[in-house]
Amino acid sequence: MALLDRAEWYDIARATNWTPKYVSQAELFPDLMTGAQGVPMEKWEVYDEPYKTSYPEYVRIQREKDAGAYSVKAALERSRIFEDADPGWRSILKSHYGAIALGEYAAMSAEARMVRFGQAPGMRNMATFGMMDENRHAQIQLFFPHEYCPKDRQFDWAHKAYHTNEWAAIAARHAFDDLFMSRSATDIAVMLTFAFETGFTNMQFLGLAADAAETGDFTFASLISSIQTDESRHAQIGGPALQVLIANGRKAEAQRLVDIAIARAWRIFCILTGPSMDYNTPLEHRKQSFKEFMQEWIVGQFERSLIDLGLDLPWYWEKMIAEFDYQHHAYQMGLWFWRPTLWWNPAAGVTPECREWLEEKYPGWNATFGKCWDVITDNLLNGRPELTAPETLPIVCNMSQIPICAVPGDGWNVKDYPLEHEGRLYHFNSEIDRWIFEQDPARYRDHMTLVDRFLAGKISPPNLLGALIYMNLQPGEMGDDAHGYSWVEKFREPAKAAAE
Amino acid sequence: MSEPQIAKPLKTWSHLAGKRRKPSEYEIVSTNLHFTTDNPDAPFELDPNFPMAQWFKKNRNASPLKHGDWNAFRDPDEIIYRTYNMLQDGHENYVFGLFDQFSARGHDAMLEDGWARHLARLYTPGRYLMHTLQMGSAYLSQMAPASTISNCATYQAADSLRWLTHTAYRTAELKKTFGDLGFGTGERGIWENDPAWQGFRELVEKGLCAYDWAEGFVALNLVARPAFEEAGLRALGQAGRHNGDTLLGLLTDAQLADAERHRRWTGALVKMALETEGNREALQNWLAKWAPLGDAAIDAFCAHLPDSPGAAQTAREACAALRRGYGL
Ligand SMILES: [Fe+2]
Ligand SMILES: [Fe+2]
Repeated sequence: MALLDRAEWYDIARATNWTPKYVSQAELFPDLMTGAQGVPMEKWEVYDEPYKTSYPEYVRIQREKDAGAYSVKAALERSRIFEDADPGWRSILKSHYGAIALGEYAAMSAEARMVRFGQAPGMRNMATFGMMDENRHAQIQLFFPHEYCPKDRQFDWAHKAYHTNEWAAIAARHAFDDLFMSRSATDIAVMLTFAFETGFTNMQFLGLAADAAETGDFTFASLISSIQTDESRHAQIGGPALQVLIANGRKAEAQRLVDIAIARAWRIFCILTGPSMDYNTPLEHRKQSFKEFMQEWIVGQFERSLIDLGLDLPWYWEKMIAEFDYQHHAYQMGLWFWRPTLWWNPAAGVTPECREWLEEKYPGWNATFGKCWDVITDNLLNGRPELTAPETLPIVCNMSQIPICAVPGDGWNVKDYPLEHEGRLYHFNSEIDRWIFEQDPARYRDHMTLVDRFLAGKISPPNLLGALIYMNLQPGEMGDDAHGYSWVEKFREPAKAAAE
Repeated sequence: MSEPQIAKPLKTWSHLAGKRRKPSEYEIVSTNLHFTTDNPDAPFELDPNFPMAQWFKKNRNASPLKHGDWNAFRDPDEIIYRTYNMLQDGHENYVFGLFDQFSARGHDAMLEDGWARHLARLYTPGRYLMHTLQMGSAYLSQMAPASTISNCATYQAADSLRWLTHTAYRTAELKKTFGDLGFGTGERGIWENDPAWQGFRELVEKGLCAYDWAEGFVALNLVARPAFEEAGLRALGQAGRHNGDTLLGLLTDAQLADAERHRRWTGALVKMALETEGNREALQNWLAKWAPLGDAAIDAFCAHLPDSPGAAQTAREACAALRRGYGL
């Protein structure tokens, strides 16, 4: 006789629900942490994770994966990929690590909540591997950028960003705290693993890995694809949880959680990945526009997985798809304009060739966003860089924590979606953001945006310098144009020619 | 305040740059990773007082166990994810090698029926207890005030699943030889009703509900884990050796190697906590509440262990000695 097949003992390892006697079920699984929506524990026992693995397989495979990713890094240690890459690529790396590494660590806590408070044994076991995965993702995405610290102070933000009040960090914390850190085990299965991970991280990581390979950054490409293999396993925790909820008459509640999660994920994705793909990635390395990417992955693929599970498309689906045309262009303008408040150097991405590409991918771009960039370009060409620096306070969305913005110029559609709640006036970027607030105002009520804090006198001196100090940004780490404004020169010749 | 200085590139993270020595890989990837501890008034970047925020403010921030800088905690083994898998992949190869060899030798067929009945009662139901340890460690992972503590708890949760997996494997194997003894089907009933397990069940059910992070740590890491390890692993393994079950003894020894590692970081955390005034009292108060439950669990379990005279006393003393060794 030899070793048993996993199938012969797997079910025993996930038969671990029992009825407590010395404490009540409600004490052992408080609703706040469990979120079972009244579906009794035994109903969860049909939960069947589609992706099965076991402890000995896990430690073997993960050991091999790490060996692969770390050896690629070691082999390329002395290459000059980092130095030779376009500065726009370095900016993508910095924004990615700062926004993601500690967010991954937070996801470990969320997986841990499913291990402790999940109602199905299979879910608790899979989440144990998920918790380990997120531990890996945090550690590996700290170790890799750490190497760059001596070359560039902005890489310090791979670790530091989440500990600061830098505005993009506030936005990331607000989104991730709401998506998973402060949610119950059931909510996490639906919102983090299903909506966020199958919907968005999958795509973010696949897209990034392709871009990295295209740029020649094979260390990052192998790192990201290795992480993606973990994600595609533990992202499958959510599907069977949704099936249990739907089978027990909780479809409306499940749908609401999915809708909130997708909306929150979309905003983060839109500001992080949109500008990366359409502006920071050098033109010659762009495969698809952000909009095309969204159409393929979110509309084409994720839509199908929603329907397959018996869910509906979110009520705002068409509104969100309409945003594919403009929202990330608006965010890009904000990022570049407020560049001293970033921990990376945003690429403007608006050379004449880039603008041609943008107009082709987003017809009408020149008449809208292009007009704002015309003014910026003109100021830079005519020695008035101070006019391209921020002076006034934006209105920040009380949900996304990102300045409210949309289409400028000929297509102007910037609009505040206000809401008065218990005597306080809130501002939102869209009907969708406002709807999220209305689902559970207590979660958001007394939170203050960066601008609220400014107006409340919590930031001194009350000017850009004070704001930068509040955001922990010093000269030497504050963002500036990725290419040192060299792109402006490409406009000088045609401008001269036109004048003659 | 003067004009901000120009920040220069540093050799490591700014929060580690002041240290006098080069950071290890462990420090680079493990330290100061929780951001929900930064603002004591609002754990989340959301409303400061909605129910989940209150849970963290009460059960983590307001714990009677205090320290000015929990982030200073270091795992004495400096385990990181990468090394954890190297370590445990090796150990799993050893354990599954044992399963393979013993099965090739027809080990189970040589066990006596009487001992097999003991295994069905005292060994295989243990997967429920191991699972509670897995759950409890995951709670500590999400509630601990420092990432260096959370990481230890995360790996401890994975180790608990490791033990549970070994038990599930052996349950399926024993069922093949002893089809009529309830292997794989009777464990839940035994866990819920058999007097041998009720002490442990009371201890872990209550321990899982000790939601203050530090009290949960005391209940599980200072009491329940050592009690189970001394009675349910060590004493059981020894009883196995007296009943021709060499495999069980080797297996529990392998699991106890994990326990030794857990005890090292547990001791380091207690030692660190004892630096702060008032913590000794907090820990002693909790021990006064939990240690008797641990002893009772040991007594109830060992009373049913065959060929194990004095096992309960030995286990109880080992637990007490362990806690004394921690300075308690
Ligand atoms: Fe991850
Ligand atoms: Fe994940």
